[in-house]
Amino acid sequence: MGFLDYYKQFEGMPEEEVNARLRDQAAERKRKALSVVEPIDLSATTWPEYPHPAVVNAITYTARRGLHRYLDRSAGELRSELAHRHGLPEERAVVGDGAAQLLSSAAYALMDDALDELVTPWPSYGLYPVMAHRARAHAVPVQGYGVDAVLSAVNEHTRVVALCSPNDPTGELVQAGELRRLLEALPERVVVLLDEALADFADAQPVDASLALLDDFPRLLCFRSFSKAWGLAGLRVGYALGGPGSETLLEQLAPELGVNELAQAGALEALRSTGHLVERRVERVRGERARLLLELRSRDRIVATPSQANFVWLEAAGLDGAELVRRLDRVGVRVAGGGALGDPNHIRVAIHDGAATDRFLRALDGALA
Amino acid sequence: MPRTDPTDNGGLFVGRRPGTAPVKYRALPARGTHRRQQLDGGMAIAILVLMVFVCLLFFGPIPVAWLWIASRVQYAFNTISLAILIAFVGMLLTLMVGLRVLRRLDLTWILVRRAAGFDQRQGIMTRVFAYSAALAAILFFGWLILIAGPGSTLAPGQ
Repeated sequence: MGFLDYYKQFEGMPEEEVNARLRDQAAERKRKALSVVEPIDLSATTWPEYPHPAVVNAITYTARRGLHRYLDRSAGELRSELAHRHGLPEERAVVGDGAAQLLSSAAYALMDDALDELVTPWPSYGLYPVMAHRARAHAVPVQGYGVDAVLSAVNEHTRVVALCSPNDPTGELVQAGELRRLLEALPERVVVLLDEALADFADAQPVDASLALLDDFPRLLCFRSFSKAWGLAGLRVGYALGGPGSETLLEQLAPELGVNELAQAGALEALRSTGHLVERRVERVRGERARLLLELRSRDRIVATPSQANFVWLEAAGLDGAELVRRLDRVGVRVAGGGALGDPNHIRVAIHDGAATDRFLRALDGALA
Repeated sequence: MPRTDPTDNGGLFVGRRPGTAPVKYRALPARGTHRRQQLDGGMAIAILVLMVFVCLLFFGPIPVAWLWIASRVQYAFNTISLAILIAFVGMLLTLMVGLRVLRRLDLTWILVRRAAGFDQRQGIMTRVFAYSAALAAILFFGWLILIAGPGSTLAPGQ
């Protein structure tokens, strides 16, 4: 280094040059931030948006009012609201820690022999075989979905039929007429647990169509949830509805010390003030579902099951589900692989909004190319 | 209740005060040995002395030199106006050149001070100019009062 060069290295940058460099760095940071495309998660069936502030406020209010005592073990206010909503007596509604807890409790209450069987179409909600196992009974998964498939598996050991409608993960629905046929065909000892956690999204029949059968069939129990269309999965609140004479059984399903006080408050406020919001969500999902199914049908390699839920169950010819999941994941679109849901050739894609649908379709086209 | 926290300024000063930013180099300078830094420290002092010398030129030698040149012009061309004009313009131009030299020395001084290991952010030219002016004023009035002006009154024979 020369004599003058040695001293020149101590020259500071002028302020303009420093500012220009800082501006360049800020622009680069901004460009990088904008170029990052956040992954989109279409693997869960829960609602992707935050709960309504009114619900959060109600929960906060309840928490501040005092959690040091049992305020309402029987969730009387919530039961009353639900019964009023569905036009049933309060005694025929029970609130639990999510529909899953109520379903498990029902299986436990109804099956007490090692030979007892729980029949369920398959693929379906993964909890059904688990709850049969916990009740020390057997699960009998029946390939396919529909009343005839179920009836073909019913025998003298069958005590419970667990039917998810719309079915998770296929999205298929048992219409009220078909359900009536099933109930009429089933022996007296068999109880049908109708899991309608996703019923709000169905448009093939009125949401409460199956509830009309409760009066005629005391062996039917309907289970609903606040985890899906109501967007309150974290609260773990669900409820069961039964026909005349089911009161005793329903009482057995309730948690021993009642439902969480905060969950009660959130669910109650949701029922009272966010009904219109849920209706808008449901309309949005129905519209996007129709568009997505139409788009999928126009692709030769894709076979999609007609869905009544907030997701679509599909397979790609020549590509197994796990590979399709991997290819979609590489472009930031996460979907649920069918391997864990009962069919490794399929994937389950949740429906959010138009932008999510467009992004999924672009990713799908890329994955199939 | 009065607030006593000096940092609680209501968000008025959200960044650094102007002019207090640390020096930013294009690349981290490779400093010399301790000996070299000591030499640079001595060189910085020498430059400072040189700056004081240049400043002092403004308050005596340069005006005197131009007055002498003007007197030669008056003698040669026998015109007072031209002499005044040349003295005025000459002094002004020399002052400008001197300031440029001073500024260059100041910048060099900053670099040498940094090379000597000091976090030197500002130059010293303004202070050198002010102190030189004060020194020149003291010297001038000393000369005026003690030697030139009152001398004839106190000592009428001179």
